[in-house]
Amino acid sequence: MDVLKWGSLMAFVVLFLFPFFWIVASSLKSRGEFFTRPPVWFPAHLDWSNYPDSLGRGALKGLTDSFVIAFLSMVISLLLGAPAAYAIARFQVGRENLAFWILSIRMFPPIATILPLFVIFRFVGLVDSYTGLVLSYTVFNLPFAIWILKGFIEDLPREIEEAAKVDGARPFQIFRMIVIPLAAPGLVVAALFTFIFAWNDFAYAVIFSGSKVTPLPVVIAQFAGGHEILWGQISAAAIIAILPALVLATFLQKYLTRGLTMGAVK
Amino acid sequence: MLGKQEKNFARLMVLPAVGLLFLVTIAPLLFSLGVSFTNLQFGSPQPLRWNGLDNYLNLLTKDARFLNALWRTLLLVGAGVVAQTVLGYVIASLLFRISRGRTILLSAILIPSVISQVVAGWQGRMIFNASYGPLNDILARCGIKGPAWLASQQTALTSIFLTDTWQWTPFLALIILAALQSQPQDIVEAARLDGAHGWSMFRFVTVPLILPVTGIGILLRGVDLFKTFDLVFILTQGGPGNSSETLTFFTYVQGFKFFNPSYASAMSFIQLILVTIAAKTFLAFIRRQRSV
Amino acid sequence: MNKLFKNLNTLLGIGVLTLGSALGELPKFNHVTITVVGDAGQNMESLNKYADDFTKAGISIKQVGATFTGLYDKLKTDFVAGSGDYDMVIFYPSYIGDFAGNGYLAPLDDLMKKTPASVWDPKLDEVEPPYREIYCKWNGKVYALPYDGDVLELYYRKDFFENPQEKEAFKQKYNRELTPPASWKEWLQVAEFFTRKQGDTLAGQKLDHPYYGAGEYGARGFSYGWFLCRFASAGGIYFDENMGPLINTPAAVEGLQNMVDSLKSCPPDVLSYGYEELKNAFLNGDIAMVVQWSDVGKKTADPQLSKVVGKVGFALVPGTEVNGKVQHRTPMPVGRVLAVPASSKNKEVAYWVAKFLSLDKSPITVAANWSGQDPYRVSHFTDPSHYKFPDDVSRKEYLEATEANLKVGFPDLNIPGAAQYIDALDLAVNKALSGEADAKSALDAAAEDWKGITERLGADNQKKFWKEALTSYRAAGLLQ
Repeated sequence: MDVLKWGSLMAFVVLFLFPFFWIVASSLKSRGEFFTRPPVWFPAHLDWSNYPDSLGRGALKGLTDSFVIAFLSMVISLLLGAPAAYAIARFQVGRENLAFWILSIRMFPPIATILPLFVIFRFVGLVDSYTGLVLSYTVFNLPFAIWILKGFIEDLPREIEEAAKVDGARPFQIFRMIVIPLAAPGLVVAALFTFIFAWNDFAYAVIFSGSKVTPLPVVIAQFAGGHEILWGQISAAAIIAILPALVLATFLQKYLTRGLTMGAVK
Repeated sequence: MLGKQEKNFARLMVLPAVGLLFLVTIAPLLFSLGVSFTNLQFGSPQPLRWNGLDNYLNLLTKDARFLNALWRTLLLVGAGVVAQTVLGYVIASLLFRISRGRTILLSAILIPSVISQVVAGWQGRMIFNASYGPLNDILARCGIKGPAWLASQQTALTSIFLTDTWQWTPFLALIILAALQSQPQDIVEAARLDGAHGWSMFRFVTVPLILPVTGIGILLRGVDLFKTFDLVFILTQGGPGNSSETLTFFTYVQGFKFFNPSYASAMSFIQLILVTIAAKTFLAFIRRQRSV
Repeated sequence: MNKLFKNLNTLLGIGVLTLGSALGELPKFNHVTITVVGDAGQNMESLNKYADDFTKAGISIKQVGATFTGLYDKLKTDFVAGSGDYDMVIFYPSYIGDFAGNGYLAPLDDLMKKTPASVWDPKLDEVEPPYREIYCKWNGKVYALPYDGDVLELYYRKDFFENPQEKEAFKQKYNRELTPPASWKEWLQVAEFFTRKQGDTLAGQKLDHPYYGAGEYGARGFSYGWFLCRFASAGGIYFDENMGPLINTPAAVEGLQNMVDSLKSCPPDVLSYGYEELKNAFLNGDIAMVVQWSDVGKKTADPQLSKVVGKVGFALVPGTEVNGKVQHRTPMPVGRVLAVPASSKNKEVAYWVAKFLSLDKSPITVAANWSGQDPYRVSHFTDPSHYKFPDDVSRKEYLEATEANLKVGFPDLNIPGAAQYIDALDLAVNKALSGEADAKSALDAAAEDWKGITERLGADNQKKFWKEALTSYRAAGLLQ
């Protein structure tokens, strides 16, 4: 049984990491090692220069810009999303309609709103600024955070909250001291993916960025030029781009487990 | 019944989020809605006028390219959601059952989700390349002649589906794992004592317990799959022919290549209505399943 | 001896250059900052390379990079929003009608006439005519200066075409000499001839993988350009005088059918080939001929990228026989021009930067391998010393072929709405290539689409624009 379990897990890991391995290998190839027959799986000699080169071509600035934007958007989405999710899940504010209106914001294809949003942002000076992008991402992250947290909160047994209420706890205390710790797994999921969505977005970033703010995906996309695609630099930047989100994911997983132990206590 | 105080508290809790969403989206949304009933086309000298439902009727009755894109998108959403849910569940339940090494394995499996779709697209151009790509190289080493992937009408959309599934199965795996971990153990134990195991355990204990959270995960995935754009843009540009053109890609072409916002907006609202119907149906379905 | 000659040549080249830039005096501006937007990468590299000159002239430059495919979206979004953030824009000239016709760009004629001429005159008279007339002007006024002279070119494996065994076999089979195809009919023959199965021999070597005679741009986006190669050389033009679409004439259908037939001799996944894949197939030595942009010629000579260094021949893109004579028209897809937005507050400075790049520094830029720019001026062909080629013969052949193609250049559609017309055409071409429709019904559908686009954009206006375009076609010598 154990063999089967571990065997299939490993099979999945290999399957999911095969493209990742390809990117790692690509990030260490020299210019002539792309699109060859047969493909180069292991570069003849490891060419590390793609890393400093991609950083020099704007990836370093892209990295910091993306981090600031994604992190702020994540924090705001959680700070605003968690209370809203609680109110919707437990107190049915606005019934189903409010929840659905919130979700519909994520349903609407960004293409149709980018142009009017651009005009407005220009008018108030938010194009090519951190605020503009943080705002845009928060708007499409909030529905995600609210709905994910709503699901987790609805799942919590009401009894604990009821008991706290009888003990005289005020509503916000219940939210803060009981609901938040119990919904930790939901918060982990929401935090991780709101970060990732903002970290990886291209559609807004490409239109709203300029000379001051250049998120990483935009920088990477610029490596694919009309006359030359810098495969090595694209791959190196991709590996660099994976790291912060991966560190975050590993760090947050601790709290995924804490949810489990809290659950066991009740 | 909620007391007045509780009601006010709840309102106060949603206010910041709802306020922000409203402030940022209301103007663009109203603009889009208004524009969708006009003939607005940048670069056209024709006077701006209302044309009622013309754009909508055109799309739904005459525009074969739109209807084909719609059909293709539905296919992609359906296949994507099913594949990612099933795979996600299998991975999550495997991870749930091991006690050591979970952090590392989960982090490893999460890597695809952490890669920007733009990057995934460019890598896909290499990986799916039928002559020089690693995928067909592996298949050839196993004695299988790989398909032409991006170059064939039969497999272009499949390539997009595979890339998306690779990227987003980990998302559902994580959500399902979190849901599995939040199951009240007493209920699970009680069921086991009652003799539930295997399929009956899964169907009547696990599913109802994890469905609220998992269902929302699936819903959100479906909503995002409906908007598949970056991958199409980089992998195929909708080709060969328009065999891999999705709804959002066509909206992009109308909106940003043709600068025809009236038509693009009408398309977006049709999409919104369709997704809303699909989402409501799905939520109703989940609610029924829960009460089984 | 040869080496000495080369060194001398380089020395002389440098001499001429310093002289050249000494003639083009640097003006002195009062510490102006201008914002330049373009597709990032090699096409903006010259802004870094010549930064010292700009500093000396009192100019600092802020760069905004767009992606190759997203440049139009980014520029047009900005223009539509009327923001005036940009002082100089680098863009693809098929949008000149769109941008100039909608009033987004400033006319440059007055700036060009400023004195002293050595500072302000962009010397447009020595720019190859199709480029000058159709890509830089709109409605009789100059709105842009040339920056990148993209044109297609035929590349073929000289070593195989000159191989005695292959020559003999070809003669046996087709009863004529093996030469680079002059016409698209010959292209099919040669492509078929060089297509071999695994295990066959090619030029005396046993093949361990299948070999293909040709490659086409099969992916969505620019597949129309490879159709235009056939269409334009058969005398095709986009519309008639009244803007009736002419893309579904019998000659056009025949041209598209030729491209479809060519796929039989192409790699099986050719429908996913964009610029990058098509270039690599040739540089990897997997296909015998290809039509590609002129910068690929420089890349064939780069040993890091190319397995076919020194084995490549350069020629005029095949033509079509019309009345017993083969006629050539080589498409010029993409390309780049420099323009000054009407909303810029630093028009004069921005114009001078554009002129400096388009003229003074251009001989270095177009030859360098750090740039993606291709030649567009007569003078770019008279002094070839900056080009890096393994031998003088290749360099000479490359430049001659590039110039020959440019002389018969056939520009992209450049009227407002070009993006829509071209997308419809590209879709039709791609449908025919993928077998979703036959050549005739695909082009018929595209012609219908074109009529619809014209209606939607306002038929009267579009007709007026097309008349203006036709005037420029005549000025460029493309029409009688």
